Amino acid sequence: MTLLLQTLIFGVLIGGVYALMSSGFTLIFGVMQVINLAHGALLILGAYLSWWMWRHTGVDPLLLGVGTSVIMYGVGWLLHKAVVSRVQRIDPGLTLVASFAVAIAGEGVIALVWGTSRHSATPSYFNTSYHLGSLIVPKAQLYACLGAIALLGLLFALLHGTFLGRSIRACATSRDGAALVGIDVDRCMTQMFAIGTATTGFGGAALAVLYQFIPDSQDVWIGRVLCIVVLGGLGSLGGAAAGAVLLGLAESMTSAYWDTRWTTAVPYMLIIAILLVRPQGIFGTTLRREGAPA
Amino acid sequence: MTAGARRQASRFARPGVLVGGIALVAAVPLITDDIYYQNMAILTFLLAIIASGWNIMAGYAGYVSLGHSAFIGIGAYTAGITAQRWGVSPFVVAPLGGVTAALVALLLGLVTRRTRGAAFVIVSFALLQLLGLIARNWTSMTEGSKGLLLPLPTWSIAYQYWPFYYALLGLLLLSIVMSAAIKRSKLGLGLVAIRDDEDKAAGIGVTTPLYKSLAFIASAVLVGIAGAVYGYYVGFVEPGAMFDIVLSVEAVLAALLGGRGTVWGPVLGAFLLEPLSEVTNSHLGGSNAGAFRIIIFGGLLLVVTLVLPRGILPGATDLLDRIRRRDRVGVVGRRLSEAPVPQAPASRRADAGAASEVLLRVSDVSKRFGGVRALDGCTFDVPAGSITALIGPNGSGKTTLFNAIDGGYAVSGGQVEFGGRPITRLSRTGRTFAGIGRTYQLPRLFGSLTVLENVAAASGQFSLRALARSAVSGAEAARARELLDFVGLGDYLSARAGELSYGQRKLVELAQVLMLDPELIMLDEPAAGINPTLISRLAELVRALNETGRTFLIVEHDMQFVLSLCDPVIVLSRGTVIAQGHPSEISRDHEVVEAYLGEDYVPQPVPAAAAT
Repeated sequence: MTLLLQTLIFGVLIGGVYALMSSGFTLIFGVMQVINLAHGALLILGAYLSWWMWRHTGVDPLLLGVGTSVIMYGVGWLLHKAVVSRVQRIDPGLTLVASFAVAIAGEGVIALVWGTSRHSATPSYFNTSYHLGSLIVPKAQLYACLGAIALLGLLFALLHGTFLGRSIRACATSRDGAALVGIDVDRCMTQMFAIGTATTGFGGAALAVLYQFIPDSQDVWIGRVLCIVVLGGLGSLGGAAAGAVLLGLAESMTSAYWDTRWTTAVPYMLIIAILLVRPQGIFGTTLRREGAPA
Repeated sequence: MTAGARRQASRFARPGVLVGGIALVAAVPLITDDIYYQNMAILTFLLAIIASGWNIMAGYAGYVSLGHSAFIGIGAYTAGITAQRWGVSPFVVAPLGGVTAALVALLLGLVTRRTRGAAFVIVSFALLQLLGLIARNWTSMTEGSKGLLLPLPTWSIAYQYWPFYYALLGLLLLSIVMSAAIKRSKLGLGLVAIRDDEDKAAGIGVTTPLYKSLAFIASAVLVGIAGAVYGYYVGFVEPGAMFDIVLSVEAVLAALLGGRGTVWGPVLGAFLLEPLSEVTNSHLGGSNAGAFRIIIFGGLLLVVTLVLPRGILPGATDLLDRIRRRDRVGVVGRRLSEAPVPQAPASRRADAGAASEVLLRVSDVSKRFGGVRALDGCTFDVPAGSITALIGPNGSGKTTLFNAIDGGYAVSGGQVEFGGRPITRLSRTGRTFAGIGRTYQLPRLFGSLTVLENVAAASGQFSLRALARSAVSGAEAARARELLDFVGLGDYLSARAGELSYGQRKLVELAQVLMLDPELIMLDEPAAGINPTLISRLAELVRALNETGRTFLIVEHDMQFVLSLCDPVIVLSRGTVIAQGHPSEISRDHEVVEAYLGEDYVPQPVPAAAAT
């Protein structure tokens, strides 16, 4: 029983962090219909930046994550201007291939800058925990999860409470319609992409504290992100949150009751199973399709 | 040299160049005994085989995969494991690698039953990663990350890598022949139709699950065999190298660079790319070699998508075309109404007109979208041989009803019978074969096919043998020409469908539907957005076709068109039938006037010209 409760705690805590990590990806898909396969590489970049700043300043890496988010916002802005918006004009079907190219090349650049040995950020509370009876709540996990939830709340408020948020949601519903009522669609898309990418800043910082990472880890992380959004239904923020907790639980269950070696395979198995059986995701609903594509 | 002689010369020149090229490539190991070049050629062949396979799945059928190197790993492990257990040469069991790869490809194809585009890419990526992890973790079978050691080659050292070289060259030639055969065939035409618009393809008699399964098998089987040979060549099979994402990227890059959708593009791309890769490998050493390698390939892939998204071959072909066509004038719109209405081509359907009096019976059909009841207990009959109209306000469920009849939507309740047979459970293509054809409000043509190909892609019955037939030839092509002549577009056969005007596209779609020889033709707003002369022309075409025994069900808002042409008229409002009957009754029906026509509607006298 304790093992089960403990597994649930681990699962939910990591799920909160996963939710933030995949929120940017699912938002970008929901609004722009872009599958950004560079998201994993961006997370790893966020992790390296946070780790690097922590090494040089000694400030708490999770706090630094807020700063990393600002940097990642800039990276996202640049990525959209230089690559995504261009490919979308040329052939939207190739956006995915282009983002994958960015991921691969980005991994190479990260390896050149920081090398290929394992890193992780280890602040003072690393490996210490709160104790609830016989249950353990690791401090790093708890702080990362709380930070992620706070940022998710901010993101939600941004989308629902500001003019930019409303414009973005208008673009998501109909680009032409948004343009007709005077919304600068291009600017909106760039903002959306940059904001979505900014989530990899704090996400990366949490990754740096909770996991060891190498440039190659981007494969594993894009796998996790894809799994989460497929579980929750592509494009849905709430779905991503639920999918994140589910994946967190599935992974901690696998390592607790089966074999840690297979934990990394869980996301891929879930992806294939879900897309075979229920492609709209566990929480997605079938919407009315138009008789003719626009 | 005259144009004819030049064509003659080029007809002999092309196979000549081809045979010469193959002979040259085949002679390389005989000319030089430098292992470096043999190795480079072997890796080039391997990449070209993967890229060609990828091209059938992604270039023809439009299912982009980022995990195509998985089939290399599958082939290598299958052959490696069986060779070790049975104590035979990996060459002997290499075909088994192809079989396993084909089976996995079929499984991957299952995913495409319900998902498209982005979801498929995700699955292909996940499959590659998962297989890599299985190879790593299932140590009792695969020896894990330690790798599987294969037997040493048994032939004399004097022959160097020859057996690998010729095996892979043979597989590459097979890949090219297969790619070319598929592209020329009806199967290939159907795959392009699937790429452009899969739902529409299903509606014109392309049995999409079968087409896709065949394409997936074709794109994997030779890659699997090549993987087996490659594993033997490397000498030991290990997860990292066999399920390598970078190899997948290289294959995608090769196909994009050379030109996806073409036969030679992926091969050309591989022959450009692999030597480059070898050169960079031998010049970049040290701990950063791997990083530079992925930067170069990732960067190149990015540059190709941004600068040369269609690839070298299509780009060059376009350029040549433009030069050749410089002084030729294109066909412009002709006034169709001036020519007399031609004889309507007879239906080739054997049982045409033999069915019962009621051709289509819709009973109590409903369709819900979440909480919205788009159709709510719809019940009506379409008499055989009639021109039935379906009218009603916007949003009353007319197009939804069309989708429920042709199988685009699964109904939430009720029954659809066609020719006395329930068809509610039939697939979309099944209903097409049963004899239902439809057009769309906004015409849906396959933009990358020509007008003739658009029509020839349609077929009203299934035949396995026809799949291998040449795409546009023989009786089928003659029939397509006849139908296009009938709708008045005989001059546009080789125009791309994407270049046509809205009205012309509507006519092509009509010809496409006629190609199915349907008993019931459903037209969704045929008169919307086209000029008045074309409308009356359309009415004449419909009438001529109706006289040959074809039944029509037409959704239309142009009341003059409806009242002069159709009988009976069915009125739909809020998803239910509120009235049906002769046009004259309908236009006086109080409820219909209130729900649709409006108080100020004055029934027009039926125009004399159209009343004949």
